[in-house]
Amino acid sequence: MQMILSKMNFSSWLKKLNSYRIFAPVKSGEVWSYELVEKPENIILDYPNTIIPPKKVLFPQREVLLEFESSSEQEIKLKEVIPEETPSVIFGIRSCDASGLAKLEKIFKGGFEDLYFSKRKNQTILVGLACNIPPSPDCFCTSVGGSPYSKDGLDILMTDMGDEYYVESVTEEGEKLIESAIGLFNDPEENVKKELEKIHLESEKKIKRYIKDIDKISSKLPEIFETEFWDKESLSCILCGICTYSCPVCHCFDINDEVICTFPLKGKRVRTWDNCQFPDFTMHSSGHNPRPDKASRLRQRIMHKFNYFNENCMELLCTGCGRCISKCPVGIDIVEVLEKVRVYEK
Amino acid sequence: MVKLDDIKKECKSILEEGKVKYIVGYKRNNNYYMSIPAFIEKIEETDQLIWDPTCVYNLVRFLRDEKLRKERQKTPDTRPIGVIVKGCDSRAINVLLQEKFIKRENVYIIGVACEKSGVIEKKKLRKKFNEKNIKQIEFGKDNNFIITTEKGKTTISAEEILAERCIECNNNTPVIYDVLLGEKVERSLSEHFRSLEKFESISTEEKWNFWKKELDKCIRCYACRSVCPMCYCDECIADSISLAVKPDTTAEEKAQKIRWVEKSPVSSENFSYHLIRALHLAGRCIDCGECERVCPVDIPLRYLNKKMEKEASEQFGYTAGLDPEKPALVSDFKDDDPQDFII
Amino acid sequence: MEEKFEPKIIAFLCKWCSSAGSDLAGVSRMKYPPNVVPITVMCSGSISPNYILSAFKDGADGVLVSGCHPGDCHYIKGNYYARRRITLVKELLEFIGIEPERFQMSWVSAAEGAKYTEIIKDFVKELEPLGPQNKLRSNL
Repeated sequence: MQMILSKMNFSSWLKKLNSYRIFAPVKSGEVWSYELVEKPENIILDYPNTIIPPKKVLFPQREVLLEFESSSEQEIKLKEVIPEETPSVIFGIRSCDASGLAKLEKIFKGGFEDLYFSKRKNQTILVGLACNIPPSPDCFCTSVGGSPYSKDGLDILMTDMGDEYYVESVTEEGEKLIESAIGLFNDPEENVKKELEKIHLESEKKIKRYIKDIDKISSKLPEIFETEFWDKESLSCILCGICTYSCPVCHCFDINDEVICTFPLKGKRVRTWDNCQFPDFTMHSSGHNPRPDKASRLRQRIMHKFNYFNENCMELLCTGCGRCISKCPVGIDIVEVLEKVRVYEK
Repeated sequence: MVKLDDIKKECKSILEEGKVKYIVGYKRNNNYYMSIPAFIEKIEETDQLIWDPTCVYNLVRFLRDEKLRKERQKTPDTRPIGVIVKGCDSRAINVLLQEKFIKRENVYIIGVACEKSGVIEKKKLRKKFNEKNIKQIEFGKDNNFIITTEKGKTTISAEEILAERCIECNNNTPVIYDVLLGEKVERSLSEHFRSLEKFESISTEEKWNFWKKELDKCIRCYACRSVCPMCYCDECIADSISLAVKPDTTAEEKAQKIRWVEKSPVSSENFSYHLIRALHLAGRCIDCGECERVCPVDIPLRYLNKKMEKEASEQFGYTAGLDPEKPALVSDFKDDDPQDFII
Repeated sequence: MEEKFEPKIIAFLCKWCSSAGSDLAGVSRMKYPPNVVPITVMCSGSISPNYILSAFKDGADGVLVSGCHPGDCHYIKGNYYARRRITLVKELLEFIGIEPERFQMSWVSAAEGAKYTEIIKDFVKELEPLGPQNKLRSNL
């Protein structure tokens, strides 16, 4: 289904969706992030990109898995905490983030199904916004199989056409969302489609960063695993968690028991985001750490994204959103690192 | 004014003489107007070095990596490493010496005086320029910065985009160095604790609302800790390294284990983490402002440390990083330390 | 009837003076409010800011640190170190918007049972109008 929605009607559409929880980019200070929106009429879709990707809606940084309580050693009461299935819509997702969620779905729903993620995902409709201008100078989605108007993972894709949005449904759920307020939409005229193609092609051209021979790099990575390449490239790394926490596909987590009361014992088992750059990530209980230095941790991040995942799922674990480049406190640039991999000779 | 050629010359000569293993300095980011840390090993690489108002990094942070690297090597190269430091950064070296974390002979200090300017603050810059258009920022004459954009060069008074910490800085000249480049210039741009003034006039509730709003944003990426030259603890209180859970660890034992800070990014844990960090940096923080700069969600972390610095200075007459021979703030006392608040 | 708010105080008392002072108050049958949970530590100088923060996190409405008078420390100078450290903790807590009344420090010698009861009485009185401390309380 392909429709035209006048920008004036956008907020009316949102108002009609009052049976859904609506998430959209919200600005606080200088930082944008996806938040639950109380007044959908205030949503502004003209935004750069958020610091934290929309994965936080489906895979929150803190998730309570179960609650436990024990009054004696013999008896421990467990209560599983399963998220409520509340129909939700995330508005204004960029194509890179949407494909990130599609990749997360492969991880959390392929093989073993993660209830927490999938319960939320099943009830969430993703409405994307094509990028007419790359939201960040570090965008490189076209190098990793994406595009600024990719429909991968989306239910609806909207494109800004000036005074109106070109709204295209990708899935049945998306179609239903449009139909629920069909009176607000118009059929597109013929020349509009040409215009749309033009906008899309132009936006692709505006992306400045590019990774050459990504397939070759991917297969070359294991060859340079043991080289001092990683020592050199990681010299300025400070081992913070910005790159992975801001990554739309990084999904490692840690599970901890948070004790609220020691007697009678009461607490929660929670899952929180974890990070391959942190010192305790691979720490064994013996005290041995197989990834003791920053070289091995940077290597892990690159290998996981461009080699391991590629071997397992035949795709890259990177969507080219450029967040890790823009936000790195010491200017480590994943595009440059990969270029150096490409030209590296032992 | 500090001449870049002087920096390059000095670096070349110490590399030639084999005095240092490598030099940590600043170089240009290929795709961005900011500098990035540079690790210079070869003489020809010294041409990459730059010195401009985007040299914000406190490179003393990397002495910790060098120390760890050396500990892992069987026959380490024991030569010192060279490090380019600004006034604030040099005080960090003094603190590390004072705490005996490094030895003086481990480091060759190339001090660079900020004279009458300092480094930029991106937040201020963004208000005046579209970051995407900026090509380069340089020191100009008379306390000005020259900003090159696609449209050409603009001169702007340094104070307009100078980092708040530079405006409040008292140590524009390095306090410890092997070689000093630039001149010792007396300057007083502003009051040393000016940024804290706005907190003095607000009520307890307003203070709480401010910090609650700010610290609730924290995503616990620990960039503040990671970038800090003083945060070198092997086991940080925020990590779970010391809490190894073995197969025979009972639920009871787990419950009894002290965990000062949980990993969850909820209000109470964020407060615990940031308050403990501020207290651990009391008398050690040298106000390089790196924690605040790297924060991805813009928490004004510097105020917490600045507050501790202010109390150390006003109540105990202590300033961090001036004298490595003196005892540290909290491992010392005076008989007449203030105690009016004690009942 | 509305229940009266009873503040909960955690008191870190040094073993040699303040704890003995509180014992003296007890054996002398001096009356003071039962709102305080005393925790004996070896020296006021051994109190880490972590203790104080986690007391607040676990729901204390007020925290008291008490040690020997200057010059009387069993370990010669532990209380002097404590004085500096607690000053910093107190300033920081006030800076982030915790009511200054909630965190106090006192010198109580083993002979000052009466002083100890007065301190607790005043502390409870000061905390009552503030209501429960929820700012730093754990919200896990």
